[in-house]
Amino acid sequence: MAQSSDISQTSLSGGHQVAQFLKNYYIYFVLVGVVVLLSVANLDRYDLFERGNFLYDKNIINILRISAPLLTLAGAFTLLMVSGYIDLSVGSAMSLSAVIYAMLAINGVPFLPAFALTVLAGVGMGLINGFLVVRLKITPVIATLITLSLFKGIALLLVQDGVSAIKSGGGLKMPVWFNSYGREAVWLGLPMAFWIAVVVTIALVVAQNRSLLGKYAAATGGNPTAAKLSGINTSKVVIWLYVLVGVSAALAGIARSSFMSLGDPLSGDGMELSAILVVLIGGTAFSGGEGRVLRSFIGALIIMALTIGMLTLVPAYYQTLVIGAALLAAAASNHLVSRKETAS
Amino acid sequence: MTVTANIGRSLSDDRRKMSDEAFITLLVASVAVGLFLFASLLVPNFFQLLNMLNLVTNNWAVISLGIGVSFLLVSGNFDLSVGGIVALSGVLSVWFAQATGGANALSTGLGLPYWLAITCALGGALAIGALNALFVVKFRIPSIIVTLGTMMLARGIAQVVTQGSQRNTNLPDEFGVLGNMTMFDTSVKLPVAFMLILLLIAIFIERKTVFGRLTYWIGANPIAASLSGIDKEKHVTYLYLFSSLIAGIVGILLASEFKSGYSNRGTLMEFDALVIALLGGVAIAGGFGSVVGMFFGAVILAIVTSAATGMVLSPDWQYILKAIAVFLAIVTQTWALARRNR
Amino acid sequence: MTDHNQSPALSSDLAPVLAVKDLTKDYPGVRAVDNVSFSIQSGTVHCLVGENGAGKSTLVKMLTGALQPTSGSMNVNGSQYEPTNPQDARDGGIATLFQELHVVDELTVLENLTLGMERSRFGFLIKSKLEDRVVQTLYAIEPSIDPSARVSTLSVAQKQIVEIARAASSGASVIIMDEPTAALSEREVERLFAVIRRLRDSAVTVVYISHKLEEIFQLGDAVTVLRDGKHIATKQLSDVDGRSELIEMMIGRSVFQDYSPRGKISDEKVLLAKGLTNSVLRDVSFHINRGEIVGFYGPVGAGKTEIARALFGADKVAGSIEFKGHPVGRSPKEAIAAGIALVPEERRTQGLFTSLSIRENVPVMNLRRLSNNGVFRASVEHDAAVDYVNRLNIATESIDKHTEKLSGGNQQKVVFAKCLFADADLLLLDEPTRGVDVGAKTEIYDIIRNLADEGNSVAIFSSELEEVLGICDRIFLLYAGSLEAEVTNGANVDAPHILNVVTGGHVGGVQ
Repeated sequence: MAQSSDISQTSLSGGHQVAQFLKNYYIYFVLVGVVVLLSVANLDRYDLFERGNFLYDKNIINILRISAPLLTLAGAFTLLMVSGYIDLSVGSAMSLSAVIYAMLAINGVPFLPAFALTVLAGVGMGLINGFLVVRLKITPVIATLITLSLFKGIALLLVQDGVSAIKSGGGLKMPVWFNSYGREAVWLGLPMAFWIAVVVTIALVVAQNRSLLGKYAAATGGNPTAAKLSGINTSKVVIWLYVLVGVSAALAGIARSSFMSLGDPLSGDGMELSAILVVLIGGTAFSGGEGRVLRSFIGALIIMALTIGMLTLVPAYYQTLVIGAALLAAAASNHLVSRKETAS
Repeated sequence: MTVTANIGRSLSDDRRKMSDEAFITLLVASVAVGLFLFASLLVPNFFQLLNMLNLVTNNWAVISLGIGVSFLLVSGNFDLSVGGIVALSGVLSVWFAQATGGANALSTGLGLPYWLAITCALGGALAIGALNALFVVKFRIPSIIVTLGTMMLARGIAQVVTQGSQRNTNLPDEFGVLGNMTMFDTSVKLPVAFMLILLLIAIFIERKTVFGRLTYWIGANPIAASLSGIDKEKHVTYLYLFSSLIAGIVGILLASEFKSGYSNRGTLMEFDALVIALLGGVAIAGGFGSVVGMFFGAVILAIVTSAATGMVLSPDWQYILKAIAVFLAIVTQTWALARRNR
Repeated sequence: MTDHNQSPALSSDLAPVLAVKDLTKDYPGVRAVDNVSFSIQSGTVHCLVGENGAGKSTLVKMLTGALQPTSGSMNVNGSQYEPTNPQDARDGGIATLFQELHVVDELTVLENLTLGMERSRFGFLIKSKLEDRVVQTLYAIEPSIDPSARVSTLSVAQKQIVEIARAASSGASVIIMDEPTAALSEREVERLFAVIRRLRDSAVTVVYISHKLEEIFQLGDAVTVLRDGKHIATKQLSDVDGRSELIEMMIGRSVFQDYSPRGKISDEKVLLAKGLTNSVLRDVSFHINRGEIVGFYGPVGAGKTEIARALFGADKVAGSIEFKGHPVGRSPKEAIAAGIALVPEERRTQGLFTSLSIRENVPVMNLRRLSNNGVFRASVEHDAAVDYVNRLNIATESIDKHTEKLSGGNQQKVVFAKCLFADADLLLLDEPTRGVDVGAKTEIYDIIRNLADEGNSVAIFSSELEEVLGICDRIFLLYAGSLEAEVTNGANVDAPHILNVVTGGHVGGVQ
């Protein structure tokens, strides 16, 4: 920062520096705290964990495998919120992708084409959202509520009446590779789905810091007028971000369906809430401009560790309550942080 | 003074040109009638008086919720928590009314008298409404995020109280009365009468009271409203409390009707309440819309879904139909208003 | 004064970087810019002065492409220049520093400097000479700003400099600055001036618009004076004979004849304000009498709106405000109940409910009169709307017409109607005739006089000298948040003195 500046600069007092540090890194402390908490708790009661200790490697692997969909989604969702927009259809997009992927697989389409076609479907879903928001100028909340209903309806229709999900049976059988993508260890005991989530996150971290899209997303959310005056096509930026979210939702759907070995048209229900929660925990502001992909990724790890760890401590029916309370708490603390900043 | 120049002009009777709101309401009502006739052609036995009535009476819960949601939308705020509140108040009313000392945890309640049980359940509903108001008005957090959070919070509490399933045993006899009582020697059940009375009150408030007009002013321009001396914080707080109160009553009536507190009751009702408001021409930007429009929006949704059922479409179609209906409603209403005001 | 008129372009060996010829802009009923021709030499600081309404902002909007001229032409570096949007202006080499800053707080200084100009490959940013260049440009004009700092950590002054550096490094040959010092402290102003001088030395031309005349003498090479949309003079500042000559050119002579003293005004003090202080205001004290029209006059940023909002209770302020013996100033609701109403500065965003009809707009500030135990008295609303439409001569065929479809003048009359319906004894009018056509303006002045004659007090917050001299009985002169002087209006009012005070010719405290 400026040395001996004559211009009165908002001087960073000691207290302010601490606040800034906390704001940037608090999430890692929270993660450590959660891990410590769960490590000392007795986790024997739930068969998800093979042995009592949370830090036992199989347990960690289990959590990370289950977390893959949310981890995949967190980054793109963050960038979209940074640009000041929102996508409530991610859960439905994920369900629809899961169904499409399972249908392709069960009907004999090999892994790579099935994978690619599902991702393409994700692109299409993102484009629809972008079109409604940017071209038809429907408010993002309403536009993506419309597509929430639309994608969910299509997913339900794709699955035959009387069957809850696309799965082996009736002469059709899921190929063996279907399940291994989400479960079988490829490296460090973790499956492909997890590593895809990591790759997506790394790519988006790089994109946020080093690409036009990342920079323009921040500009679009931070000061739209300035962005437009600088010659940035903000409509294009927003469409790109919706597509990115669509693709991430498709990847999340693939991970989920592969882990569960079926194409469940309800598998993404509530994912939009988890995504918002994760992004808020990562410190992204509602007003746009602010927010980091990596912090949301950590936020997703915290939420998954908490929810799964919690399953071992309290009955499953506490989950909705805790997520709702966490959402409100995260929103309130974001509010308090931003108020402190404007006050100083 | 030169400014008294044209007192003679007649302005008073110029109501021939109807307001945009009336125009949209009329548009929605005509669409509802048109759709009904169209569905009658397609679906056998659709064109019957009873069916017409059922379209409304079967949806008493969502229409009731739509009233609170519409008022909030007109003031520029979302309320997605109503479905959760329906579950919460229903479950609480059961839990409070269940006798103590049941066979297991789910059949053991607090043993309060029924009137006290439902009063306390309403208190729970109002607490969620107060929470909404606190976060939206005081913390200025976007209402969509707040009410998604409280939706989960309310439903979450209901799930904890019912341990994820339901409570339906060990209830006093009077528990099932309210939800199944018929009124005035007709087959009209109390909940339907509740909805009708609520509708009339809401229309009265919207059209005839200062409170109703305040809602429009705040939604149309919150800044100008403040600078005109309107306490918008207080007003929005009231709206959230009223919305949660209605949802609480709906939850209690549903619990009484089914004699059970089910934690998943009211799922997606918040979306349906929003959908009928949007179909009815309530603008999410605020300051525009009417309860009558919302009512016809509900009729449209009911016709579409029941016609789909009548045509033996799978119930899964309802999601796509809702999406298309809302999409078309928003696009045509925007287009019609733009054309009209050109 | 006539000898200043039509002075030809300055003789100079430099070619003009920007020249406008016969430039005219008509609005319905108003000619905002009238046949203006002048030119600006390259590498100079060229000041643009004029009273409010002289046509400066319209001229700037044409230069930046926000408005298109009705007739006439503009030339930049010798070639035709016809911008239709801000992007065109930038491409043409003209950048503008608006009063609201166009920087992205969440990005770093360097990211802001390169915004929209990045070099990329496959969508990814690549290192280029651009970064070095913009950093050098920034360093050249202000070495103390760290290019890697987040813009949100900078002060307003520093953000301005970042914007200037961006304009300079984007190759702008002309940078227009519209009142850039309105929000700056004295030290920051000096710093900004140093930046502007360095820009000039690197052959960038600065068009500098300010009400503060001493800044113009400190900084400017040449000055162009506009008045009533017409070009009065373009001169080298070294040829200008001090502030008085500039002020003379700005005022002309014709303007303040319509004020006629309104007889004896009661000396019953209805409003007493003591020591109003906030981030803008500095210890402002005054009183307003019953039946009096007072004016608060000063340029943008002098604190007019802040005083109005403080009196109305819309903003928190230190100090005390008493109205008819009772303390007020805590909330608009309280102010209205006490009998104070505000016509806010921004009619469309703060005053009107544009999506609602005239009928629905009028009664909002007086719910007590409208309510019969909570029930809406539609007849009261209806009658009030008809009454005010007639009394204020609002041009509409129906009281159910949406206010967004009314002209500016008629919209303003609806806002007045709101306040009149509130039965206010003190009306605060913040720029009451801004964007209002001449006819409506006269009508609004008549309304104000009538109100005062009926015993109401009126406070007008205006940046138009003609307005305050035309209608106010007493005028408070504001400069940089403090009340510098008080003038009683009359036949022998000293207009140059007034302009001298509000442009920074300090005259000590309040008399």
